[in-house]
Amino acid sequence: MWTSSGSSSASSKTAKRKSSSTAGSAFNEKAAEKMFEEFAEEDDPTVMGMDGIIKLCDHMDLDPFEDKRVLVLLWKLGSKEKPSQITKEEFLTGCYKLHVDTIEKFQSLIPSLDTGFLDEMEFKDFYKFCFQFNRQGTHRTLDKELVVALMKMVLTGRIPDDRLETFCTFVETQEAYTRITLDQWTSFLDFCFAVPDLSQYDESSSAWPVLIDEYVEFMEELQKKK
Amino acid sequence: MATNVGNQRIIPLEEGWNDEIKAKAIDKLEALLNGEMKSGSMFGPKEYVQIYTTCYDMCTQRSPYNWSRELYQRHGETIEKYLTTTVLPALRDKTGQGGTILLTELRHRWLNHQIMNKWLKKFFTYLDRYYVKHHSLPTLSQAGLRCFRTKVYDEMKGETTNAILGLINDEREGKIIDKSLIKSVVELYESMGMGSLDAYNSDLEEALLNSTREYYAKKREDWINDSTPDYLIKAEEALTKESKRVDDYLNSASEMKILKVVEEEILERVEMVLLEKESSGCRALLQNDKSEDLQRMFRLFSRLENGLNPMAAIFQNFISSMGDDIVNRRQARLEGGEKDKNDDPKFVKSLISLHEKYLGVVKQDFSGHSLFQKALKDAFVEIVNKNVGQFTNAELMSTFCDRILKSGGEKLSESEVEESLDRIVQLFSYLTDKDMFAEIYRNQLAKRLLTQRSTSDDSEKLMIAKLKMQCGTQFTSKMEGMLSDLAVGSEQRSEFENRMRSVDSKLDFSVQVLTTGFWPTYKSPEVALTPEMSKCMDIFKDWHEQKHQKRKLTWVLSQGNASVRGVFGKKSYDFQVSTLQAIALDAMNNGVTMTFQELATKLNAEESILKPLMHSLSCGKYKVLIKTPPGNKINPTDTFTANPKFTSNMRKLRIPMATLESSLNTKRVEEDRTIAIEAAIVRIMKARKTLQHQQLLSEVLNQLAFFNPNPRDIKKRIEGLIDREYLERSADNAQVYNYLA
Repeated sequence: MWTSSGSSSASSKTAKRKSSSTAGSAFNEKAAEKMFEEFAEEDDPTVMGMDGIIKLCDHMDLDPFEDKRVLVLLWKLGSKEKPSQITKEEFLTGCYKLHVDTIEKFQSLIPSLDTGFLDEMEFKDFYKFCFQFNRQGTHRTLDKELVVALMKMVLTGRIPDDRLETFCTFVETQEAYTRITLDQWTSFLDFCFAVPDLSQYDESSSAWPVLIDEYVEFMEELQKKK
Repeated sequence: MATNVGNQRIIPLEEGWNDEIKAKAIDKLEALLNGEMKSGSMFGPKEYVQIYTTCYDMCTQRSPYNWSRELYQRHGETIEKYLTTTVLPALRDKTGQGGTILLTELRHRWLNHQIMNKWLKKFFTYLDRYYVKHHSLPTLSQAGLRCFRTKVYDEMKGETTNAILGLINDEREGKIIDKSLIKSVVELYESMGMGSLDAYNSDLEEALLNSTREYYAKKREDWINDSTPDYLIKAEEALTKESKRVDDYLNSASEMKILKVVEEEILERVEMVLLEKESSGCRALLQNDKSEDLQRMFRLFSRLENGLNPMAAIFQNFISSMGDDIVNRRQARLEGGEKDKNDDPKFVKSLISLHEKYLGVVKQDFSGHSLFQKALKDAFVEIVNKNVGQFTNAELMSTFCDRILKSGGEKLSESEVEESLDRIVQLFSYLTDKDMFAEIYRNQLAKRLLTQRSTSDDSEKLMIAKLKMQCGTQFTSKMEGMLSDLAVGSEQRSEFENRMRSVDSKLDFSVQVLTTGFWPTYKSPEVALTPEMSKCMDIFKDWHEQKHQKRKLTWVLSQGNASVRGVFGKKSYDFQVSTLQAIALDAMNNGVTMTFQELATKLNAEESILKPLMHSLSCGKYKVLIKTPPGNKINPTDTFTANPKFTSNMRKLRIPMATLESSLNTKRVEEDRTIAIEAAIVRIMKARKTLQHQQLLSEVLNQLAFFNPNPRDIKKRIEGLIDREYLERSADNAQVYNYLA
């Protein structure tokens, strides 16, 4: 949780940043600002939108749609306020924290952006961020097709393959669900950590969302058919 | 006396004993006891005082002439000698000659001993006062009793106990025995405990319990081939007799123990066998209304710990199967082609009478015992919630109420109405979907009230009061609101009639104002009214606005009704119709012919309204309009004209029309449930702040009295509230929720 708390109180951060920039050579705020301006929206220079992010990715040689390291980078930088963008404030605080003020430094960051470096708590936070970042405007839920694609992208390697595979199939085949809520999204990861063995699952005592109950039911049916 | 001390002659021990005490007291006493002297010649006061004085003197002489110790010893020896040389041989002589003889002798000897002990105590009583006290010795009478116990009782008790048990078994078999004899011997056993019941318990009672167990074990084997009622009659008789026996001649402390042994042997060990006997067990008795036998069965098994549980289980099972029969019969009727209506009085009546009957059984035969009340309840909850066919039991029950409460339904007296309502409310109390019932009931109530078909205001109020008793104010507030709308309406009506009198109108016009929310939501089609009608409505609108400025009026024309006069040739008729029918009839005035489409335009009515409307006027029982082409279905291509040949025997006719909306709005009930569940969750979480999933679930279920949501429904509501940020899952335990203020 501490990772995201970095950007939560912006004013104190700014103060810190300034004091440090006067003291040492480690971080050049001006350069970072300049870099931001290059990617900022034309009609709103305080915000870097998807276009800017894609451009930044191009500079870093990352595929903005397929590479999950992009999401890790945005999460580390501290995009929080609105989905699909990062504000100037967030960007500068993030750069300061990560000690990056040039594209080259961003590029050298790439190896550290692997999700494998995240411990369980960090990963949970990152996973939640993935949902929030991909929301559309004021929509609170995600389209299930997007959910399936996102899950496959970020969860591969984190949870057992067959769990991921079967859950995605399940979500795709359920006609009652067209959109997934944040609670369902985060609960699925918690559920994977908490219940490795489905035969131990007890619906009558579980607080998991009904979606999870139904997934377990779906798996039981599948077992029976076999 | 003190002055005489020096002068008094000292009595030597042997002299005093032999010449005075032994000769004048003991020898005579023994002779008396042995029957060698007449009992009338007991010690007179004079004789007694003399002996007492001798003893006194011998005990008060200064030492070494104080004979207290010696006299105490000789008192004991006297008794012992008499018991060993006289009593014991006599008793031994009587053994082996039958219980009664032995017991009679024992009683005789025991009574003698009591006499002897009493007199000796009197003679030597001075010893008790000082010598015994100073030396903490047993008192004289204690010593006497002890002696009897060690010398006689201990030797004889085996024989006598057997003798008693033999006699008791004889009595059990119906022989007449000397009860007073046993009673006195039992008293001996009681005395031998020296103030406690130890001797009685260990020497008699224990053996008695064993022999009782043995006796009834044998009886059980004999009786078990009888029918259950016969067996139970015998069992009850046995228990009564055992109880009486204790009363007659045993120690009252034995009663519980003996009864317990008997209960164990003849009831507990064979309870299931008795209850489950094919042709005479509990089920068979219920089937054949064997009230008396059931009462006895209840009485007897209630004596056992948890003895009623199996009986209650059979009872519940029996009612369930009776209920199933009723449900199955309904199903069979439906499958046999009977039309599936929301009105099935036969079914509801069978349930009511089943309930009535076995409620009576619980009250009368099972003394209203809580176990049986619960069994009845559990069985009925199961039955009442078994829905067969298209309509739920909630709807069938509500429709049954409708039959009772509306005119032209069941013809019942006032007390019968109340009784029927009482019974249906009892059934209702078992329903899980109480909210569903309420919704349907409210719709039917509204219809009764608005079409003036409710027979009695009092009955309506009575029923609502009963529902309120069951489910609380919240449950009936809308229904009460409806009734009060009508009450207010009738007050305002006369006021408005005054207003109308000042206006020149051909219509006799009145309005019922309904409060939104209390009543079901009705379609209010904006049909084109006749100018006369619109005028009246405007007058009302103005009048109402003056009275209640902030209230908004919407007109529900679909619920209005009218009385119109139709003239067919020479004859004229009064038709009771709905407002919609009235405007349709008005449009057809003066013999015009109109197509369906023309009518639709003229009346500004949609097809879905116009179809049932024209159907009622041209295809129903009273065909006041003629439809071309003829037929029983309305098509948009039809044309209509007044029926010049219309005749009827009655002058006043009611032309019914199919309702525009179905009486049940399931969706509405569903929505209400969603709201109720969410409200409960928020209420609970607001109070508790943090709660475990399971606890929240059970508290929610506790709060929802009018239906029984399944856990998944509740979970979905919880998820919804998480989504809307009323709640969150606790960060460190996914099974715990936090309330977000």
